[in-house]
Amino acid sequence: MSVVAISLSGPMQSWGSGSKFVRRSTEMAPTKSGIVGLIAAAKGLRRTDPLEELLGLRLGVRIDQPGQLMRDFQTAQRPRKERDGTVTWRSMPLSYRYYISDAAFVAALEGERALVEGIDEALRSPAFPLYLGRRSCPPAGPLALGVFDDDVMSVLAQLPWMAGERHQRRHVTQDVRLGVLRDAHAGEPGAETIHDEPVSFDPNRRLYGWRSVAREHVVVTNPHGREGAVEHDPMSVLGGG
Amino acid sequence: MSRTIIDIHVLQTVPPSNVNRDDTGSPKTAVYGGVRRARVSSQAWKRATRVHFQDKLDPSELGVRTRRIVELLAKEITRQAPELAERANELAVATFKVVGIVVKPPKKGEVEESGYLVFLSRRQIESLASAAVEAAGADDVGKALKEADVKALADRDHSIAISLFGRMVADQADLNVDAAAQVAHAISVHPVETEFDYYTAVDDTNPEEDTGAGMIGTVEFNSSTLYRYATVDANRLADNLGDVEATSRAVRTFVESFIRSMPTGKQNTFANRTLPEAVIVMVRDTQPINLVGAFENPIRESEVEGRIKRASEALRDEAQEIERAYSETPVSSWVVRVGEDTASLDDLGGSVALADLVASVGAIVGARLGSSS
Repeated sequence: MSVVAISLSGPMQSWGSGSKFVRRSTEMAPTKSGIVGLIAAAKGLRRTDPLEELLGLRLGVRIDQPGQLMRDFQTAQRPRKERDGTVTWRSMPLSYRYYISDAAFVAALEGERALVEGIDEALRSPAFPLYLGRRSCPPAGPLALGVFDDDVMSVLAQLPWMAGERHQRRHVTQDVRLGVLRDAHAGEPGAETIHDEPVSFDPNRRLYGWRSVAREHVVVTNPHGREGAVEHDPMSVLGGG
Repeated sequence: MSRTIIDIHVLQTVPPSNVNRDDTGSPKTAVYGGVRRARVSSQAWKRATRVHFQDKLDPSELGVRTRRIVELLAKEITRQAPELAERANELAVATFKVVGIVVKPPKKGEVEESGYLVFLSRRQIESLASAAVEAAGADDVGKALKEADVKALADRDHSIAISLFGRMVADQADLNVDAAAQVAHAISVHPVETEFDYYTAVDDTNPEEDTGAGMIGTVEFNSSTLYRYATVDANRLADNLGDVEATSRAVRTFVESFIRSMPTGKQNTFANRTLPEAVIVMVRDTQPINLVGAFENPIRESEVEGRIKRASEALRDEAQEIERAYSETPVSSWVVRVGEDTASLDDLGGSVALADLVASVGAIVGARLGSSS
């Protein structure tokens, strides 16, 4: 199996999985539907095109820098002509949009070599402009990190830490643990289920299935860590492991 | 297929102002690189850009975003066929029914409206009206409209604004248009704290013995040097507009209006009209590249070097570093800049005046799209 890795970082991202009407929420990590949508856009698929070949991909998302939840508020107005001919403005429903600010993620997708190479190529020369979950969130810098002959977890363990320098300097140890959300194996215990398996992006009948996600972590090197430094661990005095 | 993508990077200082505020009246902010930044939302700047267009383009190329679509179409029907004035409203409702846009029953003394804002181009309104006029003579108006395929009429000849910013029709998703322009939220290159201006207002006719203010309050504001980024996908724009000349004109208009416009929030309170200190436009043939990473480490001014000088250097370094690491060299690039502090940006492209930049971008888009089609 081969893996294509994608860098997802920028000032703002937004990965909704259950948004309705005026409240547009975000998950705290990129969703599979968001990433598959991004790849489909890179490959030039229209919203009504079948997604079959992308649906079998196994996804792992590494949380390099978790970021913060941010709420944005948006107004819209419409003009209205009064009887005397003057124009007044009426408010449309207010809408609240949620974003993750200041976050960095690495996504790894596992599949057949040819498919994965095609995705990497498409990300380097996308057919449609790409964005991190919402059109107003373009990524900072290029997205493609290359193709690897390995599995999802090994690739996520070997790629360098992509958090901002300031964030890295706040960790003193040479090794850091980064959380990973990955597709669970069949029947894996402890997996969470979320409504995030894209089936069709057709705007007239968008369809998502359920998806099982397992939480794991990988250990990567902190370029700003100091030898022998230990993370403050107040629980250590209690003994045990 | 050769790709043509136009990246626009802007550094712009705004004095104390509250260009874009949240539901509590505070200027919008975002955290980036671990510190709080001033933010102006993409929605706010897109609208400012669109409003700036109005004077630049012929009305036939502009779109209207309104719920009052029935009145709009009825007016055009009456203009084309004054004898149908009495039936114009009813014809307009029938037309939108066939197009698939639901209009709500009218309130007393009013006209039907759609339940949401619909973006229609001038030419779409004209062709829908002439189809309605044609169909007016038929026995079954609805059937005649269906035969005239009015739905297709609403799905071509998009205005420049629709082609750039997209269109969403809630109950007819196949009439949607994907936007060819992408605008990022503008964020400050440095940390900001929101400040509070306490004010008192004097009642001019207050008798002398009656002391005290007529009104008190606070206005929140901040001042910032913003990094603004937008990108236009010229190939997608050409798909939407269907014409190389119109695409070139749309790109020229967007570039100029994005650079010159300013959202109007609290404009009268702060008179914060400024123009950018620096603009870099890069034409690329693979992917758009946002250089916001240059400012992840917040810029801090010193006694010897101001914000703009350091921000310009950071932007130049980021552009060159990405070019080196990813072999992403722009096809062409130009710089419009003010003052000595922005001199480092000359490393990214030839320094020109805005008018020349706009003309050059338009010419290169026309040449590249013209040769590939």
